[in-house]
Amino acid sequence: MQKINKNAVLALLSLTSLVFLLFQLYYYKFYLSQKNGAVFSKVRGSQSGQDSTRWHVVRKFLGLLSSHNIPVYLIDPLILGLVDKDFEQIRSSPDSPSPECRYFCAPRDFTTFALLDKTWKHEVGLFRTAEKMGFQWLKIINKDPRLDGMDDLSGIEIPLHYIFKLASHAIHLVVFYERSGNYLWHGPLRLKQHMDRKFVPFRKLHFGRYPGAYEKPELLLVSIDDLKVQIPKNPSSFLEEMSHSRFLECRYREARAFFQLYPDDASLDAVEFRKKAKSLLHLAALTLNNLGVKFWLSSGTCLGWYRQCNVIPHSKDVDLGVFIRDYKADIIPAFQKAGLPLKHKFGKVEDSLELSFQGEDDVKLDIFFFYEEDDHIWNGGTQAKSGKKFKYLFPKFTLCWTEFVELKVHVPCETLQYVEANYGPDWKVPVKTWDWKSSPSNVQYNGVWPVDEWDDVIQIY
Amino acid sequence: MDEWKPNPAIKPHKKRSWYLAWKYKLMNQRALRKLCQTGAVLFLLVTVIVNIKLILDTRRAAYEEEEESAQDYDDEMLNVEVPRHPVSNKKVLDVEVYSSRSKVYVAVDGTTVLEDEAREQGRGIHVIVLNQATGHVMAKRVFDTYSPHEDEAMVLFLNMVARGRILIFTIKDEGSFHLKDTAKNVLKSLGSQVAPFLSWRDMWTFVGKKGGEVYGEKHAKSPALSTWGDPVLLKTEVHLTSVEDAECHWPDTELNRRRKRFCSKVEGYGSVCSCKDPTPIEFNPDPLKDNEVFDVPVAVIAGNRPNYLYRMLRSLLSAQGVNPQMITVFIDGYYEEPMDVVELFGLSGIQHTPISIKNARVSQHYKASLTATFNLFPDAKFAVVLEEDLDISVDFFSFLSQSIHLLEEDESLYCISAWNDQGYEHTAEDPSLLYRVETMPGLGWVLRKSLYKDELEPKWPTPEKLWDWDMWMRMPEQRKGRECIIPDISRSYHFGIVGLNMNGYFHEAYFKKHKFNTVPNVQLKNVESLRKDAYETEIHRLLGEAEVLDHSKNPCEDSFVPDTEGRVYVMFIRMEQEADFTTWTQLAKCLHIWDLDVRGNHKGLWRLFRKKNHFLVVGVPASPYSSKKPTSVTPIYMEPPAKEEGAVAVPAVAAAEQT
Repeated sequence: MQKINKNAVLALLSLTSLVFLLFQLYYYKFYLSQKNGAVFSKVRGSQSGQDSTRWHVVRKFLGLLSSHNIPVYLIDPLILGLVDKDFEQIRSSPDSPSPECRYFCAPRDFTTFALLDKTWKHEVGLFRTAEKMGFQWLKIINKDPRLDGMDDLSGIEIPLHYIFKLASHAIHLVVFYERSGNYLWHGPLRLKQHMDRKFVPFRKLHFGRYPGAYEKPELLLVSIDDLKVQIPKNPSSFLEEMSHSRFLECRYREARAFFQLYPDDASLDAVEFRKKAKSLLHLAALTLNNLGVKFWLSSGTCLGWYRQCNVIPHSKDVDLGVFIRDYKADIIPAFQKAGLPLKHKFGKVEDSLELSFQGEDDVKLDIFFFYEEDDHIWNGGTQAKSGKKFKYLFPKFTLCWTEFVELKVHVPCETLQYVEANYGPDWKVPVKTWDWKSSPSNVQYNGVWPVDEWDDVIQIY
Repeated sequence: MDEWKPNPAIKPHKKRSWYLAWKYKLMNQRALRKLCQTGAVLFLLVTVIVNIKLILDTRRAAYEEEEESAQDYDDEMLNVEVPRHPVSNKKVLDVEVYSSRSKVYVAVDGTTVLEDEAREQGRGIHVIVLNQATGHVMAKRVFDTYSPHEDEAMVLFLNMVARGRILIFTIKDEGSFHLKDTAKNVLKSLGSQVAPFLSWRDMWTFVGKKGGEVYGEKHAKSPALSTWGDPVLLKTEVHLTSVEDAECHWPDTELNRRRKRFCSKVEGYGSVCSCKDPTPIEFNPDPLKDNEVFDVPVAVIAGNRPNYLYRMLRSLLSAQGVNPQMITVFIDGYYEEPMDVVELFGLSGIQHTPISIKNARVSQHYKASLTATFNLFPDAKFAVVLEEDLDISVDFFSFLSQSIHLLEEDESLYCISAWNDQGYEHTAEDPSLLYRVETMPGLGWVLRKSLYKDELEPKWPTPEKLWDWDMWMRMPEQRKGRECIIPDISRSYHFGIVGLNMNGYFHEAYFKKHKFNTVPNVQLKNVESLRKDAYETEIHRLLGEAEVLDHSKNPCEDSFVPDTEGRVYVMFIRMEQEADFTTWTQLAKCLHIWDLDVRGNHKGLWRLFRKKNHFLVVGVPASPYSSKKPTSVTPIYMEPPAKEEGAVAVPAVAAAEQT
């Protein structure tokens, strides 16, 4: 009796363990095919099988695209970061076989590639081949921002992101569009209601939380881990650019509403002024960019962008902001060289610096320098005849890209606070008479320049 | 291993003894055995527990991950899903058709799909085509068979409709006066009993399947010439077929999927939807060598004339050097059918909410389209602007590719146009010849981005101004003395008969006989001499070699030009100052070329062909070329017609501009 019992127990346990073994195998398989690698790798930790999976997925994906003649380039910050460390070596020996998988096997959930929209046709064939190769894919489309600024055009929605998933790894393909202002733009990644929220851990994506603006990159064909792939020619500057790439779209809908209330000035004068302001802004942007001085739209120009997506025709100048830490002595000669003579200079580098340049036909370019304090940022103003100083206070802000009069420029990301600080809660109402000493709601009296400094801090040409 | 083999030679007894021996042996090591057993049990239990834990862990990890993964990426705007009508599985459609003097309507399952009670409009036979599987309206047409030739158009249309479709006919006002036997026979072949006997002011409704059964027909005879037949209302039921039966079985390719989508929605496009051997929708014309315009965006300006758009896109996509990726069709209004046509060809289309009315609407549509084009292609320096009622010549892009550098380099140029206003069958001859003209012809032209962005866009007429965009562009404030380059033989053909400012008569008189190049790969010959100064040299050379015609003869007569070929002739007309076109207008009239306003001039000089001779007309003394006139020659002066006619011509000019 006892013997039988023991045998039975043994048999039962063997059976159970067999069942569990099968179950484990099934579960393993299920994981590989259904769930993303993130969960898996988190639990299991990194292991060599996983590493080579990533490499294989990337290889398959590159094969898929090259079979359809679609040129992509690598923008994955993780891999580019690794590549950047060994950049000299990679660049100098483009074809040498690599002894070990150092980049594409690095633990991560995604590999990110970029695709220029105009270099491919939105073809169905790609997805069919992808499916045949075992990829699952997700396409994120949205409105075309290039048509957003226009009244009542309803274009087709454009693809912004693709995600290809195979086994435990996913490829994030970001579609870049060329926009007016000679830059590249990628859209935000927003899931529509019916979409599978669990397709991949979207939070871990490096691109898509916000739209982004980039310069057109120069590309370099390299061989990384025995895979031929295009990467930005200068990975470190690309990574730097990426960290400040957030893009704000102009508020076209609000701008249209504004023009409903206050019809646009279509007089010849207004047209002319806008044209001049635009070319002055282009010239200023070119000059400052060449110097490597970061600037943003300030005061009236910023208000024009924010409120009506255009230059305010009754403003008489173009206003830019620059952080004082970015000040360079070359600024004045550079503008003079560009044909914009200095009109006046108020303040000094240590305090309330402000430069004005004379553009074509009375259109003036004002550059205000901003001083950062612990809890606010300010710029200064000076009244020439009395030597009075003024201070304009702003809450702290960061810089975002936007597009304005066919130019990629910076604006404060927290634009509303910035505009409200400057123009008060009624910024939506156009005001034709504006006194820079008293009208701004953030102005503070800041004393008087000592008379002996006047020659230095009040220069008028 | 050998011992394990069952050996038939060994006796069972022996086997048993071996088993006992083994058992005994193990019994002797009881302690060890027990240990082994316990170990195994423990091991198995641990495995089970670990496994269960693993499963639970991964589950929870995955769940947490998913929970937080997507929040940031949710579309902020909740997608308001349009509640879809449940697909009705109904197999029967109720159809109501009404015919009367002043009103017609058709209702399908209670939904009115046609209603026309406008006065002075919609006379004739209304035809509606329904999909036999879904009941959707695929085409709606009205043929004014009271007027001549409309019955032919109806026959053409009915022949294009695929077999099996459901056809609904109803007459408004009068539909028999010019309904000839051919058309009546076609209606009869569809199963109509009444059609052959339809007569003056009869009312008639008919529902039938093409090539199949008749669902109903009603007819009311007109009792007398001066009165109409009584209104008739036909109520009938139509049995739907299955979707499979209503579709063709083309091989499953990307192209055919597009075709299928198109053909299940609309009707009246003929062989593109034919089940056997359908006409291609991809053309793959030869690429152009050194194509300078491959990256130039093409904006097709369209309204709601889908059949025109279809014809236009076919010719455009067949032109050598076309790049379909650069084509965008801009549709003025939310019309479905033009969009279907655009999708059929795999192009991108953009719809534009109509702003304003009439000319201003067209003008606003142009502005939006041009702005959008340069937004979508920010790299482009130019845009090709086309309209939906143009045929495009096979060498259209070749023509542009050879000439576009001029527009980039020569500041004195305003545009390049594919259209020669004066290029009729009898006045154009040389496909390789180009001109400079002071007028802007439009009808297939190239616009420079800087011109648009810096000059035109900021000043574009606002919606409340009922201006024609092209008239506005021709105004001196905009044109600023710049000129356009045009070919002698047009690279586009204007086939539109219905349009804002267009009607059949007008088209016949001014557009039908226009010459259109059909020769591929024409090598343009005088491209460099079209630059501002070079062109003057060229004109002086031409005038120098030109023979002066006999000015005593009537320039309208054929004999004015000798029966030669390939010569250059010049005539001088009176032109007191720059804006004096009295004689020119009369000359244009008798030559049967464009005479509604002045077109095709360059500094008081017109260039055309007569009897295959190059024929130059110089306005004296306004033209700087007047100096070429021999002193003995008196410029010809032609009397303008009586005032009355002039007055009639004025509205015609306005009507001619935009089509």
